[in-house]
Amino acid sequence: MVTRKKEAKTEPEKFQLRPEDLKRILALSLSRGGELADIYLEYQTSLSIIMEEDIIKESSESVTLGLGLRVIHHDRTGYAYTNDLAEEKIRSIALTAAAIASSKTGKQPSIKFRHFRPENDVARARLVATSRPLTEKIQLVERAYRSALNHHPAIKKVQVAYGESLQRIQVINSEGLFVEDRRPMVKLVVMALAEKNGRRESGFCGGGGRVGLEYFNRGLSPETIGQEAASEACLLLEATDPPAGEMPVVLAPGHSGVLIHEAVGHLLEADFIRKKTSVLWNKLGKRVGSEQLNIYDDPTIPGFRGSYNFDDEGSRPQKTLLVEKGVVRGFLQDGLSARLMKKEKTGHGRRQDFTCWPLPRMANTFIDRGEYDPEEIIRSVKKGFYVSRLSGRQVEDSGQFTFSVTLGYLIEDGRLGRPVRQATLIGTNLDILKKVEMVGSDLDFGWQTGTCSKEGQDVPVTDGCPTLKISGMTVGGLK
Amino acid sequence: MKTASHDLRKLAEKLVQYGRKLGADEIEVTMYDGREFNVDVRLGRIENLVEADSRYCTFRLFKDRKAASASSSDLSLSKLQALVRQALKRAGLTHADQFAGLPSPARFKVTEDSLKLYDPEVAGMKPQEKIRLALTTERIALQDKRITNSFGASFVSNELRTVLVNSSGFSGEYSQTYCSLSLGLQAGRGDRLVEDYWFSARRHLRDLAPPEEVARIAVERTVRQLNPRKIKTQNVPVIFEPTMTSWLLAFLFSCVSGTAVYQQTTFLAGRLGEKIGSDLLTVVDDGLLPGRLGTRPFDSEGVPTQRTVVIEQGVLKNYLCNTYSSRKLNLPVTGNGNGRGVVPNNFYLEPGANTPEEIIKSTRKGFLLTRVIGHGLNTVTGDISRGASGLWIEDGQPVFPVSEVTIAGNLGRVLQNIEQLGNDIQFESPICGPTVKVAEMTVAGK
Repeated sequence: MVTRKKEAKTEPEKFQLRPEDLKRILALSLSRGGELADIYLEYQTSLSIIMEEDIIKESSESVTLGLGLRVIHHDRTGYAYTNDLAEEKIRSIALTAAAIASSKTGKQPSIKFRHFRPENDVARARLVATSRPLTEKIQLVERAYRSALNHHPAIKKVQVAYGESLQRIQVINSEGLFVEDRRPMVKLVVMALAEKNGRRESGFCGGGGRVGLEYFNRGLSPETIGQEAASEACLLLEATDPPAGEMPVVLAPGHSGVLIHEAVGHLLEADFIRKKTSVLWNKLGKRVGSEQLNIYDDPTIPGFRGSYNFDDEGSRPQKTLLVEKGVVRGFLQDGLSARLMKKEKTGHGRRQDFTCWPLPRMANTFIDRGEYDPEEIIRSVKKGFYVSRLSGRQVEDSGQFTFSVTLGYLIEDGRLGRPVRQATLIGTNLDILKKVEMVGSDLDFGWQTGTCSKEGQDVPVTDGCPTLKISGMTVGGLK
Repeated sequence: MKTASHDLRKLAEKLVQYGRKLGADEIEVTMYDGREFNVDVRLGRIENLVEADSRYCTFRLFKDRKAASASSSDLSLSKLQALVRQALKRAGLTHADQFAGLPSPARFKVTEDSLKLYDPEVAGMKPQEKIRLALTTERIALQDKRITNSFGASFVSNELRTVLVNSSGFSGEYSQTYCSLSLGLQAGRGDRLVEDYWFSARRHLRDLAPPEEVARIAVERTVRQLNPRKIKTQNVPVIFEPTMTSWLLAFLFSCVSGTAVYQQTTFLAGRLGEKIGSDLLTVVDDGLLPGRLGTRPFDSEGVPTQRTVVIEQGVLKNYLCNTYSSRKLNLPVTGNGNGRGVVPNNFYLEPGANTPEEIIKSTRKGFLLTRVIGHGLNTVTGDISRGASGLWIEDGQPVFPVSEVTIAGNLGRVLQNIEQLGNDIQFESPICGPTVKVAEMTVAGK
């Protein structure tokens, strides 16, 4: 026993808990009467590199090792976690979580494990970052840095951040599910600061996903990322203050996917639906938006940041139809909500790490392509606002949302006019969905750098959409 | 917990020695030992119950002025030693930075006890009592018929022991507690829903607001938004409630942080000694206020915390610096270190003489800002643009709620245009201030 524990500590990625140990722990977890218990084991290593002021300033490595244990009793969750994987410690947290149920006797499940591993791995990583030499990564960072700095004399400062991680998980539950997965991720982000006549503006760009380092040679190069960030900063130097008031708004493809993430995605998360705190809770089968709107969430898109082989409670994810021709067709389900609502799981139960229990979350959310030529959409607006890049965003369950527009353009007589900086869009989801007037044919996805926050848990996501025209939206600005 | 912290200190000392032996010029090791409890109740029943112990270690080291750092929740000595070896290897591939390194040795003068960071009552509280507080808070609120749904009430408590040892001879530790009671509510019917929440957060249980108070304020804040109107775009005086002042100050903090200053990513860079705000404006960072949430005896680098006047009667006096930014800027270190960055201790705006009611009464026409959503803040330019809701004020009275507007302005101008300050500062978060009236901002609507 002593030697085994020692092994577990030196090679934690193997999670040296024997099947018999796990069965005993799960049985103990249900000893007060809960219906389902699950164990989430996580071992993650990550690395970050930062370059600024012409030098590689620092690198940082982190190791996350821990176990979270959940007991579900009706609609209630008991949860406990620890990073001490000694069996006696795990037994003690099992008893803590078990206390969510309060009967004197629980069931004694006879568990037979069924093992699952990924079939068609969603990760597209040939050169898995964690197993490549540090010098390769430093080169990527330096290439991005140089290309941003050399883009234009107005660029005064550049910061580059590289991040990678490899997460190994096991999910084991009292119904016998035993899932193992390995999830690589990389990210390269550039911030460029431009200055002219005392005015300063910053531009960003980034890329990555569940990919290997080959992505930066075959997909998005560090040079492109650096140049895009720099050119955005330069463009903003010429930008005017935003207009204010209600006007037609055209959203650029790709980045504007956050609109759908906020305006509909969160409101279709099944926990908000069953708690009736979402304005969409009673809208299944009902029309909520324009007939041109088809919305999906697909966690299985290869290489995408929001993708996974199994969700964080071990379910296989599915491409999920949320809205069809403006009618609500489905919700994003985790196991708990699916059971309480008597629906099928969709594989959207995700958690930030072992300290958190799963919640229904988005993965890769997008509006599907429509019929209109993007040029035609812009031409249809006499006076309005074109949103090129959205950054910050927030939504309330009640349906109000805002977006920060980093870069936009005025639309005058069907043409893009002067660039506009820092505006805010605000609206309510149901209203905006009805006001979607034209959906373009040019579906695209935003950068593979997005993170979504809910109840203090951050998970990686991707959003996408084609060019969209909204007949009227409140634009906030200085004028 | 005492024995545990003794072990953690020993482990930290061992790692410092190990790093030095392998050739690090300097090394700093921090150990955290935390305990967390969280109960969420909703509609009269427990929904979630969480209890956990967690420990983790962070360290950074320097060799030939090259830096590398790591963190781990695997505290086995062999894993930590492997991380030290890898960090030394990584440092070798990093560029030398003449400003990198540990702070020069300093002695911290305050005792842990005088700061009142730890409440044994929080640590010893029974789970049943915590659950009862959350249930009571929600039950009181739901008695109000205008409330149509609940997001639930939560009670959170935690304890954290921090141990810091470095190769310059610093060795310190302190324990702290935290507890909070919060409640989120919804009112309205059909598609016309409004929501808000209220909370109390303290280090000591006896200072926490009682359930009645949290419930009453959460109800008031929620129902006052019912039946909102849209307004026309206009420039009017804007009154910030204390929770709104908090985000404005958080934005100000990110503009006076030494990191942003040396990186030139703030519009306040290079402006020390300049008058940047109204005479009414005095902003202080103080890590030594007994019992407050932002209080600590030393920062993440072992630098003693202190009281630093950031803005005095409108004049920019100091930036807040960790060791690195203080060396870059050749300015004093202020005890605001946090990993690579800078964090506030208790960063607050000195209150004024008026009650919030008097401030509202003195406003002929204006906007009382009660909620914001979105993140439209730009430190480089100081620009502010956020989604907002609040109450419309006419002839000194709130007349109707307003939603779906954005407020826009520039922090530089907002600081200049501060007209009145309330006397209602509450230290419910490390960044806080009273009610603030700003002479003019753009409120964009129809």
